[in-house]
Amino acid sequence: MISPHPVRLAVEDDLKRSRLTVFFRLLLAIPHYVWALLWSILMFFVTIVNWVVTLIAGRLPGGLHNLTAAYVRYLTQLFAYLSLAANPYPMFTGTDRYPIDLEIESPAPQRRLITLFRFPLAIPALVFEAVFLASYAGGSYSSGEGEHGYAGATTSSIGIVWTLAFFAWFACLALGRMPMGFRNLQAYGLRFGAQAWAYFLLLTDRYPNLDPADPPSTGPLHPVGLAVADDLRRSRLTVFFRLLLTLPHLIWLLLWGIAASLASILGWFAALVLGRLPTPLHRFLSAYLRYTTHVGAFVLLTANPFPGFTGTPGRYPLDPELPEPERQNRLVTLFRLFLAIPAFAVSSSLFTLALVAGFFGWFVALALGRMPRSFREAQAYALRYYVQTSAYFWLLTSRYPYSGPSLGQPEPETEPELAPAPAELAV
Amino acid sequence: MAAYLLWPTDVPDDLKLPSVDENHLFDAALLDETEDFERFLRWNDIASNLVLLAVLALFAWRGWRFARESAAGRIGTGMLLGMIGLALVWIAQLPFAMADIWWQKRHDIVTAGYLEWALENWLVLGAEFLFICLWLLITMALAAPLRDRWWLAAAPVFAALALLLAFLTPYLVPDQHDPDPSLAADGKRIAHQTGLDDVELKVQEIGDLTEAPNAFAAGLGPSRRVVLWDTLLEPPFDRDEVRVVIAHEYGHHESQHIWKGLAWYALISLPLLFVVARVARRWGGLYQPRAVPVALLTLVAASLLLQPFDNLITRRMEMEADWVALETTKDPGAARELFEEFADTALQDPDPPEWAHLWFDTHPSIVDRIAEATAWENLRHP
Repeated sequence: MISPHPVRLAVEDDLKRSRLTVFFRLLLAIPHYVWALLWSILMFFVTIVNWVVTLIAGRLPGGLHNLTAAYVRYLTQLFAYLSLAANPYPMFTGTDRYPIDLEIESPAPQRRLITLFRFPLAIPALVFEAVFLASYAGGSYSSGEGEHGYAGATTSSIGIVWTLAFFAWFACLALGRMPMGFRNLQAYGLRFGAQAWAYFLLLTDRYPNLDPADPPSTGPLHPVGLAVADDLRRSRLTVFFRLLLTLPHLIWLLLWGIAASLASILGWFAALVLGRLPTPLHRFLSAYLRYTTHVGAFVLLTANPFPGFTGTPGRYPLDPELPEPERQNRLVTLFRLFLAIPAFAVSSSLFTLALVAGFFGWFVALALGRMPRSFREAQAYALRYYVQTSAYFWLLTSRYPYSGPSLGQPEPETEPELAPAPAELAV
Repeated sequence: MAAYLLWPTDVPDDLKLPSVDENHLFDAALLDETEDFERFLRWNDIASNLVLLAVLALFAWRGWRFARESAAGRIGTGMLLGMIGLALVWIAQLPFAMADIWWQKRHDIVTAGYLEWALENWLVLGAEFLFICLWLLITMALAAPLRDRWWLAAAPVFAALALLLAFLTPYLVPDQHDPDPSLAADGKRIAHQTGLDDVELKVQEIGDLTEAPNAFAAGLGPSRRVVLWDTLLEPPFDRDEVRVVIAHEYGHHESQHIWKGLAWYALISLPLLFVVARVARRWGGLYQPRAVPVALLTLVAASLLLQPFDNLITRRMEMEADWVALETTKDPGAARELFEEFADTALQDPDPPEWAHLWFDTHPSIVDRIAEATAWENLRHP
């Protein structure tokens, strides 16, 4: 039995958002930027002290623990506010009582060997943290080879939490509330970020947990799901050559993808006219979606076996569950491409998470012959969202993808914004 | 019958090659160096091939167990087994490949870095994976309706694919450009003399990877072209020698060597595939994925056994192309100098041991090529 992580996220947010503060959110936070910068400079030195003290004493003293815990809590609250995961203006002290808050356990003994190598060990965790919370955009341009020469490059990176925040900004302004799926995914990212900082800053020696369902949470039912029947065992040989083994599938994907693109255009016109996707096209596109998911799971190490080329249901450990053809609203069908844009953006962000998990998972699977469960769960979550997005885009379902980490619980009968008590979610 | 038609060349059957003593042409230090250089590569190659066979034998014995790593159907599982077989071979041969590249770098033949080489090596493995997948897709698909007679249908399919590949090859060669005007003029003159005005001359930039000189003829019909490596356009090679090389490559096109090579391939592949089918039959035939490992072993072993015969055919073609070059340039002196410089620049052993020559060499030895130039001179200008 694994004990709960000593750094946990508690969510007591009612999803309501003030349109005015949402509109000016980035500007309202200016005092916090200054304060966060000053506190971060202080924490640079505190972290060095933490490291030395923990190495010697085998645990972090109460005072240093409280200061570091307050900093991690403050950052989490600030990021929740900036990303619209929470509504109230946060305090500057990192004290609790915020709708998205941390529960941090008291100081506990830490293993000295892990403390000694803490900073290199934290690198994978910080890379994952960047996938959730990074925000960087930059570029460089220079001219060369005479007056006609020109060279340019831009780079940008935006974490999952900020991608969601971008679309949530419009949703909150329009609806006055935060979509639950968005908030829950942001809470997952904030929880992982807090655990990564806590590990790096020597608050705990427990490694951050990437599992999106730790602890288990609630979510609505969705007609599109992903059945996972993988035993985590991986064949080292096929892991080592995984990318090359995928080559024939990539060629087949390309060829099938051309046909699927044409079929989806045809299906769009048919659905506009008939009000539903014709069964043969539904079957064809479902098979293609299943196939892309199988290949994705194989190449990302989310599953072990070499997938088949036909997208047959029930033949792969990670298998999409797709609905039968159904009637669809013609107006929604007409604008389906535009409506799917936010879902594609979120899916793309989650794919980065799955990719990074695949990258680090490659080394782990080679060494242990197993994929870490938390990596597999995070990837399965990303793949499930991809399946829901694609199914929505290809008109296999009219239901919008749900971005939260958990599915399966019945939806509340009342609208969340009308609920008298705050929705509680442990992430 | 087909072999009888393909066998003759333009080199006179009664041509007597004069005896050439390598010790009169090359200094002892160079001969020692070339012998030493090639000896290492030869034994490394032999060891690599023995390991290859051992690994494939092991894979044939136990490899079918990897089928449990597949959720694909019959053909998909066969593809996975084929790729895993090649992957194991790649791992086993990696030390030998590294030794090969280390040796060539040590002798300044290869200039590419290890990282560059590793990346290329990895990409080559990817291409091999695709090739084996295509091979198994065809054979296993044909095995469904034809069972053990799949080889009868597979041989023409593979021949057609080889034809397509031969046609496309010139377009797949990277870093090609047009030659400078003076070289282009030489190329046009030789093309006209050989009756191949529509065959282009190109230069490939390869000097960043190797110092070895080389050129090749590629393509069929409208895709035909002659490609010179830029390493040939640097000293010690002078323009007369480069003209001999160009004429040699145009000689390949004039003598229809690519077509003949394809015909030989079609001719050999039929019995080769038959042998594979017969051996695979004991494991349920190529309809079954479990027969793939043993089919792979048979294919590789039979190809290795056929290597001396393949080399014999290519050596005859090279001899014929040399003859055409001599007839075109009428410059046996330049040809002799060119071949002598190959010993210095590519460290080719001028007169390798007979067994090594039969087993490894796709070209005539340097002394044979010099002898051929002298024989041409004696014949035309007695």
